[in-house]
Amino acid sequence: MTATGAPAARAGLPARVAGRHTGTWAVYRAERRKLSSQLAVRLLALICVLGPFLFAAVLKVQSGSPTDDLFGVWVHSSGYALSLVVLTFAGSWGFPLMAGIVTGDMFSAEDRYGTWKMLLTRSCTRRDLFVGKLLVAATFSLGLLLVTAVASIAAGVLLVGNQSLVSLSGTLFSPGRSLGLVLLSWLLCAPPTLAFASLAALLSITTRNGIMGVVGPGLAALAMQLLLLVGAGVWAHSLLVGSAFGGWHALFTEHPFYGQLAVAIAVSVLWTVACLAISWSILRGRDFAGTPVVRRQGWGMPVRVVLALAAVVTFLAIAGNWGPAGVTSARLQASLTPTFNNLTLIQQRELGRTVPPGAKLDIVPTCSRRGSTPRGPGDWICTMNVFIPQPGAVPFQQTPVTYDVSVDSDGCYKAQSPPSFIGQQTMRDAQGRSVINPLYTIYGCLNILRGG
Amino acid sequence: MFSIAAASERFSFNHVVLDRGVAEPRRHRPVRSGDDRARDPRVLTLGGALSGAEPPPPSRRLGRDGGGLGRYGDRVAAVRASGLVKRFGTTCALDSVDLVVEEGEVRGLLGPNGAGKTTLLRILFGLVRADAGSVELFGRKVGPADSGALEGVSGFVEDPSFYPYLSGRANLELLAELDGGATRERVDGVLERVGLGARGADRVSGYSTGMKQRLGIAASLLRAPRALLLDEPTAGLDPAGVREVGALVRELSAEGVAIVLSSHQIAEIEGVCDTFTVLRRGRRVWDGTVAALRAQAPASAYRLATSDDRRALEIAKHRPGVRPEPSLGDGLVLAVEEGQLDSYVLALGQAGVAVRRLELARSPLESMFFALTGESATAPESPSAVGEPALAGT
Repeated sequence: MTATGAPAARAGLPARVAGRHTGTWAVYRAERRKLSSQLAVRLLALICVLGPFLFAAVLKVQSGSPTDDLFGVWVHSSGYALSLVVLTFAGSWGFPLMAGIVTGDMFSAEDRYGTWKMLLTRSCTRRDLFVGKLLVAATFSLGLLLVTAVASIAAGVLLVGNQSLVSLSGTLFSPGRSLGLVLLSWLLCAPPTLAFASLAALLSITTRNGIMGVVGPGLAALAMQLLLLVGAGVWAHSLLVGSAFGGWHALFTEHPFYGQLAVAIAVSVLWTVACLAISWSILRGRDFAGTPVVRRQGWGMPVRVVLALAAVVTFLAIAGNWGPAGVTSARLQASLTPTFNNLTLIQQRELGRTVPPGAKLDIVPTCSRRGSTPRGPGDWICTMNVFIPQPGAVPFQQTPVTYDVSVDSDGCYKAQSPPSFIGQQTMRDAQGRSVINPLYTIYGCLNILRGG
Repeated sequence: MFSIAAASERFSFNHVVLDRGVAEPRRHRPVRSGDDRARDPRVLTLGGALSGAEPPPPSRRLGRDGGGLGRYGDRVAAVRASGLVKRFGTTCALDSVDLVVEEGEVRGLLGPNGAGKTTLLRILFGLVRADAGSVELFGRKVGPADSGALEGVSGFVEDPSFYPYLSGRANLELLAELDGGATRERVDGVLERVGLGARGADRVSGYSTGMKQRLGIAASLLRAPRALLLDEPTAGLDPAGVREVGALVRELSAEGVAIVLSSHQIAEIEGVCDTFTVLRRGRRVWDGTVAALRAQAPASAYRLATSDDRRALEIAKHRPGVRPEPSLGDGLVLAVEEGQLDSYVLALGQAGVAVRRLELARSPLESMFFALTGESATAPESPSAVGEPALAGT
């Protein structure tokens, strides 16, 4: 800036303040103002605040529960389960869509309105604009995430209650521990949310098309969910940033496993850095030659991007079997057996029977996968052979309980047994109240990265 | 009528050519003394409010009178572009174009559509990278990734664009934010100055083209520019708006602001420019002062309607300094040298031919412009009144 002052001084002009290079934070303030004035963002914020309360209210007036979710069966039993159900839905669809709405049109809108040249002729550099816009996108994305987290916890606690939470290992977590873990789980969704925001920025800059930028992250999330259904390998699945939203599951087991959590965070960071690096290289070298917007908004670039994404999806589908299988018989048995044990103890206590502390059932599990391959996600059959002590000549009564287990590629599973084995979905507790039968459907997660 | 090649040979460029062939503009407009400026409340109040500048000190004003500061070797030019080349595919948009603009100078950047004016301005703003050549603004190199070089430089390229879902005032506040912020009074001041004070709270989506143009000028003034680059600033403006822009340009120029006005119609800006650079197909075909251009310009052309056009044409053919030209519509088009118009009209009267309409079809500068750029001289219909350029300062 020294060069600036010299001619002015020579010409006798007074030093001027306006027009001086103002930097990233000036862009940040301006972009924040722009984004907060957009109707879509305001509506999104409203949904984030009211959505969890509406969801809780609907659950309150009906007896059913979202049984497809890991904690869905417990939404009437603990307010924290409700927050985790909201978090699961947000991880599948909410966060990618939110990232698209906040970030997807942030750059392409400048093309649509023809305002790049107005911005770039002010007192800020391309780098300032790029960084400033991204900071605003991150602020709004994380802000909305936190708002949803607080709203869902508040809705759960206020409308359901501050009860203990049944973990994915069938143990009870105290309300305090549950609150801490739920908050931590929401925070752990921040890295993949930022990764999807970066993807939205990349699509926005590359295609210069707002629709692609807004819808693209949601489509990418859908594609990733479909890819997670293909193949049994761990490597390609772990590289999909969509799977990173499930990293928090590891916290809700009796013995938390942090390997998957670390991989989820690392993959999120990798996606974020890659998307932003490509975005910046494109924006930095771009000529703002003022080609009419109507020509820019053509379908040529979006079609090329879609074709490129299709190629990537095909490649990942082929790569789905790369690496070791995360779901094996041994791992499933090691996870399901203690969970079944713990839930049985909970059930017995609720039925009013005395269960000594540290009681443990004598269980011999056998798990086998349906289909041609003995490993990988999919449908399994597990039989829990429970040996119950009894008086008489035969010291044990063998009671087999068979579960149909559906295992996802991230290692989380849902096990269901016919009512003839474990009773109906609801049962009467010792006080005669209708409560959830904990053994009716078992949810759990196994560590797919564990050795052996 | 003469061709470009003939014109290039015929005109003697009586300006001084400096490094890289850039012509030094010769100031023809009388510069007011410092005392005159100090007594002029319009300049002090409007100019100060709009640009944030204080009146230049006496030493600088003396310099503009020819005290030695006018030469480029003595100080850094506001704008200095050297040997700019830009190609878009096989099309050469700019071919070794030079441009130098001093502080306080108003330079008209002229050329027909596609001549390269907007590309040149984009390169000056750093929006487009030149394939060759360099740009300095107040001595700072301009590059696409460094808008910091634009400190003190403002303006717009093509149509000024804004966020349609925001009001005019909100758009200005947002742009001001990028420059470090501005007070509400300042935003209101520039809105008032461009005639949008009453519509500042309306959304830009409801603005007309002319209103957006005014808002673009307001956005440029918000930065307190030392150099103002305006791409066809009068496009879409009504006559009053055009006049106001002319007045504004004069005021800012008097404060020392270097101004580049691009246009494809010389009639719009000839009244406010000190110097002209004329582009044709990406090449600079003229660079010099208005006086030099005017001195070498051919005769004016007038459109004439009489009670007996055939008789009037016969008289014209026998009058010295009057030359009939092809006319596309009714009436006559005559090229009339300076001083010959009155005697010709008197001759028509003496011959019993009544003059029903007489208007300037083409000023000398327009004739020159058409010759330099190779455009048809009979095509444009000038809306100007006789002897009055459209963008004349008040």
